[in-house]
Amino acid sequence: MAALAIIHQQTARFISWFRSDGRHFQIVSQVVFLCYGILALGWNAEYMKYLAAFGGCVAAQLLAIRYADFPSHSIKSALITALGLSLLLKTNSPWLFLIAAAFAIGQKFLIKINGKHLWNPANFGIVLVIVLSGDAWISPGQWGSAALLVFIIGTAGLAVLSNIKRLDTGIIFIMTLAALEYGRVVLFLGWGHDVWLHKLCNGSLWLFAFFMITDPMTTPAARPMRIVFAMAVATVAFYLANFKFVNAAPFWVLFFATPLTPVLDYWMKAKPFGWIKQRYDTTQEIRSAS
Amino acid sequence: MKKTMQTTLAALMIVLVGASGYSFCGFYVAKADASLFNNKSEVIMVRDGKRNVITMSSDFKGDMRDFAMVVPVPVVLAEKDIRVVNRNVFQKLNDYSAPRLVEYHDYNPCQQMMAEVCCSGATMKSLAFFDNISSVNEKDEDKYQVVIEAKYQIGEYDILILSAKESGGLKMWLTDNGYKIPGKAEEVLEPYVKSNMKFFVVKVNLEKMAKDADYLSPIQIEFEHEKFMLPLRLGMANSQGSQDMIVYGFSRTGRIECTNYRTVKMPTDRNIPLFVQPEFGSFYKSLFEKQYVNEGRNAVFLEYAWNVSPYSPMPHCDPCVGPPPVQQEFVDAGIWWLNEPNGQQGIFFTRLHVRYTRDKFPADLQFQATPNSEHFQCRYVLTHPAPGDLSCDEGQTYLTTLYERRKREIDEMYSLASWNWEKRSETYLNEYVGQMKEKPEVEDKKGELFPAMLGKDAPKSPAPLPIVFSLLAAMLGLLFAHKWLGRVARA
Repeated sequence: MAALAIIHQQTARFISWFRSDGRHFQIVSQVVFLCYGILALGWNAEYMKYLAAFGGCVAAQLLAIRYADFPSHSIKSALITALGLSLLLKTNSPWLFLIAAAFAIGQKFLIKINGKHLWNPANFGIVLVIVLSGDAWISPGQWGSAALLVFIIGTAGLAVLSNIKRLDTGIIFIMTLAALEYGRVVLFLGWGHDVWLHKLCNGSLWLFAFFMITDPMTTPAARPMRIVFAMAVATVAFYLANFKFVNAAPFWVLFFATPLTPVLDYWMKAKPFGWIKQRYDTTQEIRSAS
Repeated sequence: MKKTMQTTLAALMIVLVGASGYSFCGFYVAKADASLFNNKSEVIMVRDGKRNVITMSSDFKGDMRDFAMVVPVPVVLAEKDIRVVNRNVFQKLNDYSAPRLVEYHDYNPCQQMMAEVCCSGATMKSLAFFDNISSVNEKDEDKYQVVIEAKYQIGEYDILILSAKESGGLKMWLTDNGYKIPGKAEEVLEPYVKSNMKFFVVKVNLEKMAKDADYLSPIQIEFEHEKFMLPLRLGMANSQGSQDMIVYGFSRTGRIECTNYRTVKMPTDRNIPLFVQPEFGSFYKSLFEKQYVNEGRNAVFLEYAWNVSPYSPMPHCDPCVGPPPVQQEFVDAGIWWLNEPNGQQGIFFTRLHVRYTRDKFPADLQFQATPNSEHFQCRYVLTHPAPGDLSCDEGQTYLTTLYERRKREIDEMYSLASWNWEKRSETYLNEYVGQMKEKPEVEDKKGELFPAMLGKDAPKSPAPLPIVFSLLAAMLGLLFAHKWLGRVARA
């Protein structure tokens, strides 16, 4: 019994540490997705590019910790950004990963409004590298449409979000998009339900919904505003994808919608978000952090 | 004038090609003959900016009077946007990009001969194509709400461009004009009609056809539209099984990939036994079948990707199956920018192979032209053993490695294509054992050397899905473990 009690105590300690920060779960699940992609989906395992993404993000974040007074735990955010880049961005050269990493982390301490950085770092890095280099792209088809995968991403995503209380944004985004697609694909055009499901069973879409638009640091702080924000992003992405034939539309929409966040925050104030519960003064955290 | 067509059409098939959200898709109206169940179609897609050039090949072998084809298009095409092209273009592109065999010759370590490399191309044999039928009787009747937007005579074809207000009217028009449309076609016509598509209807004009011609020329259409896709759904309206399509894609800068299905590379650079050579075509067919099943039957396969620009410093293949297509052939394929005086001359060639069925491909294929310039070719390697006397020490070492290599080649043959040729494999493996002073240890053959032949399952690729699941389960388990442990500890 005593041994069990010790095991219990240690496990409990580990779990409470693990749960104290939503980013832990986020890191683990994104690593799982990357392994899934390489092992099961046969992606090119481009280790130089992953190395560039991780090296770039971590180095930039270390600079920020050293010179811009970021808290040391913010290195976890850099890891998440690096994983996001590795999962979504495709380039011909590893250098572009390094540049994307520099953009992604750099904007966190260069572009700040009310002490809060503006863009989701991975989103910012990806969009800028695609636009500026012309030698990078997103492959929305790389995940296939296995419903199973949606389940995996969904579950892990839910787990992440239930810890960090931003579940609403992702769910509202997916639901709005699903409803709009249903209206167009099934009700208006007359395709079967399988066409609609196929459109929604896209790994990139779910990654976006659960790991990008839900970024608590860069979405509006007040819940009603987050809902408005998620619905707006979904609607514009739907329009662009169906009528302007833009690939990977949500990523572009989020990029251009992000500057609205401070406006929405201004309209409706709410307690700002902090990654780590009950360890730091939240306002302090926000002012200085990741 | 109303003329009833005599042709009876038993089946509706498609193929082809489209573009748009408005999408664009074609179907052949065909007799239900055996060739329907073993289909292959070929399409060339050229894309740059918003401009699309799509060339559809027809391998129709029946009575030309019976041929008809319907292709939905996003816009009313002008006469100058439709043409027929030389059918050799398809053959040329196919030959050039097809999966290939390469041969190497070992040198004799006892004679220090130079290694010699040569190569031979192998082309997949065409699967029997789809065939089609019927003629069209043009007419414009209010009751169908079908409008004839344009009427052209191009090459050996009479072409009509129709627009329809609703799918029922279009179906009625087609039926009354001699097409027999299967019931399922209407439900797939509807989305295209609602997307405001035009319908491009083609039939053969026998008078314009060369007397001795026994084939139909490929039709090429050109239009501007953002969307880059190939419609599949109409072709599945009455399909009994899977259909194969080869897409030859061209862009200026990089690979064309599918955005709503996975684009997967075929296995490449694998060593296979020499005796596969005469059967390479059917070997590749088995290999494709196996990959298709392994990837869940819903992937698009990459068979070739290369910068084939005439100005590219890189060789276009390794080994080359034949001389590369010449400029005129690229122009025939629809690469218009080759004719531009100062345009960039880049040409990136992507060959995709998709086998589709109704249940695994619910939505039309959508594509994007990426900047991905990584080269790829589907290549299998034969290695001829060294000639001459191998009795020197180096020769004996070589024979041992040769024995090991042949073992691997046989395994590879099995794991790639599930080929299971016990006798040939055994003879092949033991061919040089007589020259070895030290005989190789004959391992317990059961299950080791020829797993397939003994009815065992093939060596399977690791199944990562269970690993992923276990990881997730472990994470979740961890989260709840402490509660349970707590309870036990307190008890």
